[in-house]
Amino acid sequence: MKRPEKPEYGFATVFETLSETIFPAPAALPAPWTSRRRFPDPVARFREALEAAHGEVRVVETLDEALSEVAELLEEIGAEVVVADSEAPLERFSLGAGRQVARVSTHNADPEAWRDLCARADAGVTSAEALLAETGSLVVSSGPGRSRLVSLLPPVHIAVVPAERIETDLFTWLAARSGRWPANTVLVSGPSKTGDIEQTLSVGVHGPKRLVAILYD
Amino acid sequence: MNGDFNSGFREAARIAIEDVGLIRSVETATGRFRLGREAALAELPEADAMRDHFKQIRAATLSNLKNHLQTFEANARTAGVQVHFALDAEAACAIILDLARKRGATLAAKSKSMTTEEIHLNPALEAGGIRPVETDLGEWIVQLAGEAPAHIIAPAINKTKEQVADLFREESGDEILAEIPALTAQARRRLRETFLQAGIGISGGNMAVAETGSVVLVTNEGNGRMVTSLPPVHVAVLGIEKIVPTWAEAGVWLSLLARSATGQPLSIYTSIITGPKQDADIDGPEEVHVVFLDNGRSKLLGTKYEEVLQCIRCGACLNVCPVYRSAGGHAYRGETGPPSPYSGPIGAVVTPLLFGLADHKQLPQASSLCGACLDVCPVRIDLPRMLVDLRRDSVEAGLDGAGTAVVTRLAARAFGSERMLGLAARLARFGRRFVGGDLPRPAKRSFREIRREKRS
Repeated sequence: MKRPEKPEYGFATVFETLSETIFPAPAALPAPWTSRRRFPDPVARFREALEAAHGEVRVVETLDEALSEVAELLEEIGAEVVVADSEAPLERFSLGAGRQVARVSTHNADPEAWRDLCARADAGVTSAEALLAETGSLVVSSGPGRSRLVSLLPPVHIAVVPAERIETDLFTWLAARSGRWPANTVLVSGPSKTGDIEQTLSVGVHGPKRLVAILYD
Repeated sequence: MNGDFNSGFREAARIAIEDVGLIRSVETATGRFRLGREAALAELPEADAMRDHFKQIRAATLSNLKNHLQTFEANARTAGVQVHFALDAEAACAIILDLARKRGATLAAKSKSMTTEEIHLNPALEAGGIRPVETDLGEWIVQLAGEAPAHIIAPAINKTKEQVADLFREESGDEILAEIPALTAQARRRLRETFLQAGIGISGGNMAVAETGSVVLVTNEGNGRMVTSLPPVHVAVLGIEKIVPTWAEAGVWLSLLARSATGQPLSIYTSIITGPKQDADIDGPEEVHVVFLDNGRSKLLGTKYEEVLQCIRCGACLNVCPVYRSAGGHAYRGETGPPSPYSGPIGAVVTPLLFGLADHKQLPQASSLCGACLDVCPVRIDLPRMLVDLRRDSVEAGLDGAGTAVVTRLAARAFGSERMLGLAARLARFGRRFVGGDLPRPAKRSFREIRREKRS
């Protein structure tokens, strides 16, 4: 990655304008707002919030059960082409015969071919680095072995996530996370929706029409 | 007849008020948003304290805006983002056009951005040989109709499904049922092609986080994700005031934004963009640019109008405003030119401040000063106070014609008399009991009562 040069347009002009502005003494920022929320059962709250946004939540005991849930779901929707991220806990995920499964590969991948595949896939399978109980959100980031398009282009997005990754809310998650930010992080809080025509809810306008979060212990 | 009455807000509002279908659509939509907001905030512990806290954040940030912008620029550059500053609309359009040309782009996929509406980016791109396609469903409908957005967050609030079907038939030549699922499917199909073919993706940005050089973009449809993930170049355009120092403050911003706008705890997709595609990434834009737009904002800093820059564009003030709900978004316009992208109470204040009071002198009059906007604002922006200040400026600058001057003098006398105004407010609350709930609800406390409390 090439480091960009100094900005070339209008930088000086805007800052000259700002420099001429008479500021009173800069006011201090208030002490950070900390989470005020407590959920006795965060997974139950996660389910409640995500279902309210038309997402689906399944809670199972083990990773094996979670992976069989995925297989059943793919069977149910008649998925022929499936794209998946290659990261924990999806390494053991296999789908058997009769189905084309493609995984993000970090080596020798052809971005054009990958994008075409995602565009015609029937489902995308990812994990999530965190779950936010309050808002029913899945935190999905770009990075090695992951594709932004797996959770975006196919009509169905399935996420397999260990329940221990649950956080109370945005504030507790932000306080817990560290290190540099990935190029792209998305908080996914439901399937794609719109109310733009006559304020009538319509699910699946651009992104996935169906979002299924499978949590396991 | 006085020339003032033939153009601008009054004439546009007069036409809109007679459009029963339009007013019914606006009332349905704003009613849903109002109820959604109330429920979403009621669920939050200490929502009022959070709003007070957010006000402090926004005020403190603006008091040190230059430093935060410089911090953002340095951190974004480290993350591989190119940051540009544009003094005005023309400069911003030139920067974006240049970026598109450098990549040989002929098609631009856009996600909804009032800031790009403000700079009239679409005509500038077209003049430069680049076809812009709006991808937010509502914004695409508005683009196909050749109109301006009628609501900050629901641009096609004024369109029926039959009208949308007509526009879609014209766009594609396909036969389409005037049913919402069919219309949504058509948009998905047509715009998916745009996302995959576009040479440049252009978005707005809900905020820029200085600490990490990240741009945050929220959408419900997912078009924001498409525009920032698929084309080889992504350009985000933001007003200079959309900066937040750290993630601690950004969390508060996000907690209040969607709740105030649509009543959702968070929008469906909150994208956090911190740089272009990394070496190990299989996809993502090769270039990410952030264009900060001044366009008259910096001159408001340190003035009695600085507070207007605290706005996060949630649209809550539109939904409660009796004037917006009767006149619709397109009425918020100057004597010349197209409607302002910013309508409702915030539009009545920010439009004259950014685009000139002389051409928009009717807008500060487009309010009953009922105070409902101040009641619901997540940043508690004192819009009624600024509306009165703008009216005063307008009179002092001699902008008002004879007709308006009389009204203004009468209003000034009423506002000058605490007793008269108090009587009017009490009468309004009393009268509402007899005519039922159809009348807009007056603010819990009138502007005058609030002002009195502040003085004491």
